[in-house]
Amino acid sequence: MARTFRLWEKKRGDRRTGSPLVGGLGEALFFGVLFLLGSVSSAYLIAAHGLGAAPPLRQPGFGFWLMVLVVVSFMLIGGSGVVYTVLQVGTSAERRSALARRAAQFDLLSDALLVRRAYPTIPPDANLTNSPGVRLAYRLPVTHAGPWVLFVSTAFFLVWNSIAVVLGMVALRGHLAARPDWYLSVFVLALAAIGVWATYFFVHQVLRHTGIGPTTVEISDHPLWPGRTYDLYVSQTGRFHIRSFEVLLVCEEEATYRQGTDLRTERCRVHAQELYRREEFRIEPGDAFEVECRLPVPALAMHSLQTHHNAVHWMVLVRNDAASWPLIERSFPVVVLPGEVAEVRP
Amino acid sequence: MIEPLISIRLEGGQRQFRPGEQLRCEYQLDAVDPADVQSVEASVLWHTEGKGDEDLGVHFFERLVPSDVEGEDLCALRRLATVLPKSPLTYAGVLVKVRWCVRIRAFLRRGKEVFFEQSFVLGDVPPARSVCAPVSTAPERTHAPEDQF
Repeated sequence: MARTFRLWEKKRGDRRTGSPLVGGLGEALFFGVLFLLGSVSSAYLIAAHGLGAAPPLRQPGFGFWLMVLVVVSFMLIGGSGVVYTVLQVGTSAERRSALARRAAQFDLLSDALLVRRAYPTIPPDANLTNSPGVRLAYRLPVTHAGPWVLFVSTAFFLVWNSIAVVLGMVALRGHLAARPDWYLSVFVLALAAIGVWATYFFVHQVLRHTGIGPTTVEISDHPLWPGRTYDLYVSQTGRFHIRSFEVLLVCEEEATYRQGTDLRTERCRVHAQELYRREEFRIEPGDAFEVECRLPVPALAMHSLQTHHNAVHWMVLVRNDAASWPLIERSFPVVVLPGEVAEVRP
Repeated sequence: MIEPLISIRLEGGQRQFRPGEQLRCEYQLDAVDPADVQSVEASVLWHTEGKGDEDLGVHFFERLVPSDVEGEDLCALRRLATVLPKSPLTYAGVLVKVRWCVRIRAFLRRGKEVFFEQSFVLGDVPPARSVCAPVSTAPERTHAPEDQF
């Protein structure tokens, strides 16, 4: 009995325990009831309006149109839910995927789509090759999460310190009037402590984005093929004493998965190849530290991969360890194609 | 009740293929009355395994119903052939794994379905492992001019 009617089921992503047929029936029932509710309600509204016997709320006006909007949305959500559920029942995952692939082929024949057809699951490199370089063929774009961290830290710094200042003034006024509120005072001290940390973090982020100059990476060709070697040019501006400066070719795996209602992403570095390293030197204002090096792609490298939930990313990573600064890493994505010369073992 | 049997045989027993190479295989259903088989789906597909949610891509797909075949017998030995794509290659990573297989799915009466798959390897990418520190390889040519500051 417990096996037939389970109250709780396990679910991870699209996989779940229990009967898919029963699940489909439950979904169809839910959306069917929603559709029925919407249909009956809209029929009632229209009929009442037509007969002129509607209560005041259902007379034409804001309330009436709001109700029409709600019941029509019930109809649309319920109807499309029923159709979607019926299409899912009795259809294999392979058939759905084949239908989706066929539908995608009706798309316009753009260059990106042609590349995608020739190399399925490999991300297009159009955005990586649309900027010509000064020394070499292409200037690679940089990707990093820095701007978001700066935005969040700025918002937190402003909001938190505003609250702390207002409450601090209230507490101070109580002290000046000889009617101190000690609970509020202690609370304000705690707020101020966090405010000091928020200010430090905000200043740190601002300096990090403005103090260290831009990093430029150019490459002789793109996309990359396993077993081939490319020229790389890296330029770093700013004003600081560098403890170590590294250029790496890095491959990272990325997996996205649902855990309950959360969407989580996990990354793992599976290849890190040092292309250049130099220690203990200075970059002066107005000067740029420039380096040319070679980028050999491993002969049996896994190609770049991008699917809905999984990815393999290749990138040139510039790691800058400067005195009095936190370690700064800037990544420049590249696309590696599958090797065509690799011998297959029998 | 005996479960229906599905057998898949890759031609020549080959289990590893190059991108662009042709895959040929035979498949057959046994231990089931042909009248009970409503349809058969043959697919050549890749799917992911590992930490992330599963992704699936169908490279070849064929759905047969009794009226599509001679004698309306879906259990008879059938063949499929397809040229394999250039990607994605089979990959055994740390978080992400890509597997290729031939999958045969049979839909029987009363909503029952059975499937069997035969995996194979596309390409020759070695397994990956996590790296904590960079693996240093001597660059072929590096230079940083001393007078560039």
